[in-house]
Amino acid sequence: MVKVFIYPATSLILSDMVARFGHTPLSSAVAIRERIQTPGLESPPLQITPEEPKKGLKWAAVEVPAGVRGRMSLYGPMVEAAEAAIIINDADLSFGCMGCARTNELIKFQLREKDIPKLDLNYPKNDEEGVQFVSAIKKFLEGLGGAK
Amino acid sequence: MTPPVRIAQISCGPDYAGVQAEINAAAHEVNGEIFFPDITLKDIRRDFDAFGLDVKSPDLKLAIARAMALVEGRVEADAVFIATCFRCAEAAIVRNELRRYINENSKLPVVSYSFTERTTAGTLLTRMEALTTIARRRALLARETQSGITLGIDSGSATTKAIVMKDDKIIGTGWQPTTEVMKSAQDVIDHALSEAGITLKEVQAIGTTGYGRFLVGKEIKADLIQEELTVNSKGAVYLADKQHGPATVIDIGGMDNKAIAVMDGIPGTFTMGGICAGASGRFLEMTAKRLGVDITELGPLAMKGFGGTVPMNSYCIVFGTQSLVNALAAGSTREDVAAAACHSVAEQVFEQQLQEVDIKEPVIMVGGTSLIEGLVHAMGELLQTKIVVPHHSQYIGSVGSALLASGFIKDE
Amino acid sequence: MTAYTPVHAGTVTKYVIVESFDITPAELAVRGYEISKGAMIKETCFGLIVNGMEEEVDRIVTELRKADPDHIFIKDRGFPPGDARRCRASLGGARPGYHGIEHEMTVIPYVSHGLEEIKKRDESTIPPPKNPLEHHVLAIDKLKKLMEAQES
Repeated sequence: MVKVFIYPATSLILSDMVARFGHTPLSSAVAIRERIQTPGLESPPLQITPEEPKKGLKWAAVEVPAGVRGRMSLYGPMVEAAEAAIIINDADLSFGCMGCARTNELIKFQLREKDIPKLDLNYPKNDEEGVQFVSAIKKFLEGLGGAK
Repeated sequence: MTPPVRIAQISCGPDYAGVQAEINAAAHEVNGEIFFPDITLKDIRRDFDAFGLDVKSPDLKLAIARAMALVEGRVEADAVFIATCFRCAEAAIVRNELRRYINENSKLPVVSYSFTERTTAGTLLTRMEALTTIARRRALLARETQSGITLGIDSGSATTKAIVMKDDKIIGTGWQPTTEVMKSAQDVIDHALSEAGITLKEVQAIGTTGYGRFLVGKEIKADLIQEELTVNSKGAVYLADKQHGPATVIDIGGMDNKAIAVMDGIPGTFTMGGICAGASGRFLEMTAKRLGVDITELGPLAMKGFGGTVPMNSYCIVFGTQSLVNALAAGSTREDVAAAACHSVAEQVFEQQLQEVDIKEPVIMVGGTSLIEGLVHAMGELLQTKIVVPHHSQYIGSVGSALLASGFIKDE
Repeated sequence: MTAYTPVHAGTVTKYVIVESFDITPAELAVRGYEISKGAMIKETCFGLIVNGMEEEVDRIVTELRKADPDHIFIKDRGFPPGDARRCRASLGGARPGYHGIEHEMTVIPYVSHGLEEIKKRDESTIPPPKNPLEHHVLAIDKLKKLMEAQES
């Protein structure tokens, strides 16, 4: 099983496709789950404390807004762990964890810098594009080998 | 218990900066309740297009749609809190435009704030208190005259002031630098009462404001304990006799600066310097000390000088003081240095605060620093307007408190 | 700040999202209750939320997916079902992530169609989708020809 970073990391479709074809999706939900299941100081809603933006300094300098650094504390380790990536390029309506365009630019850049297999797509806009979309993802994931 | 004031939050980033809990706590402290306007994806698509500000961050698109839902009355709220990350240009544009849009198109009080991961509930408290006060106490804030005998105390970070009022007139004053909060308060109260020639027993209602308002208010059993944003606006328009229509109130305080856009005596939008205390009254105090004059002499001194010849930037109090020392060493006159210091503080307030409120005339300057002639002059030059400094402007918080406290006189 | 003690520690939560003509979320929930051995199952407007130990949740969602594999989708969720921090009732409005799912639900029918079709077709005949990173520009000679055609 290969760890596949999905972009948007909140995507239901990509999360499903990656798991359906036998690999492990790296998604926001898993990073958030890790935080809300770890004892510490109370910081609702996401259990992201003011310490997280400081951890985010590893990926973005101090003059980068706190919200970007806080998000990078979620995504930085995931990008580092990623062995492959599927990127939907027209994900303009992904809110919350993927709600900051500046963070998203940085995540995409870090994925591009990384020497791992990548698949770039847009959301399908009709039935035929749906067929091509699913087929491309399936072929990409099969090509990674080691599917469960 | 009265139902909580419903504060709609329009934001991008606080939950990821780790400060959402601080926002919730500040609201909770003043019996406010943060909520997120409920809209659908269809609303987001339509309203984002309709608003016409083509930002890239999805959460800012969501913020725009939520603001429109509030203005159009599709979601009900008592007040609005707009918060985005400090140092994010995209969010700053949205924050400003939404603040203006809500202010111009609804009666909802708005406060906007840019946070870092170091923002605490304490920092937000005064702003939240003002927001809930405006929402909850419109009737009280509508008061235009003082009646009976009332006492107002302003326990500020630099100075403590007291005012005794009777039948719409100031009859006693007290002023001194804040040392021990309670002792300073007691001293100014005693002074104001003796000047007025009355005893505490005769006072029918008491109001407190400023940083020490809770402590002083509790100790002397005040009827009204209120943050300085609403109190000072009220005091300013009352003293300047500009109670109707728009006004802008500027208060350069000892630790932070306030800029308040007022309509009919009630704040609509306001900002309060938060991140840095550089450009505050404290810098002028240090300047006076370095020039070897009393703070009261700094203004007249500055009026004799020409600030343009001395480079000075008081964004940071340390660097500001350094440029002051350098200028003196390089042979600048004390008059020019004093003028430069006043100009620098005015410029900082103009750049940091006044951009976040819509300036409408009359512009009223209040607080102790409004007595520094050179500062008022510099601000007037920057804003290209004649600044109004009402009588007793240094007692603004006390006057506002005494005025509003008369709403609590029992037989009223 | 007060100390935080997590609840449901060590469990996982997954969404089971139904976009099917053959089965409704309510029917799927009934199936879920039948096969669940202690996992928590909550019905929502999109489908179900299943919470429990990882193996048990995986067994349940795999089983549920069989009801209509091309129209049932599964995704991890960070929060257990009914958590006040994500609940619409306590937030006043939907959490932001909800709108993201709302958006993907408009795309899901094409994905379902794709899943059905790839089983019927010879996959080698399905062309790759357009690469969004390739920006096709008009060739200069083609532009010249177009301009000449306009002028004549």
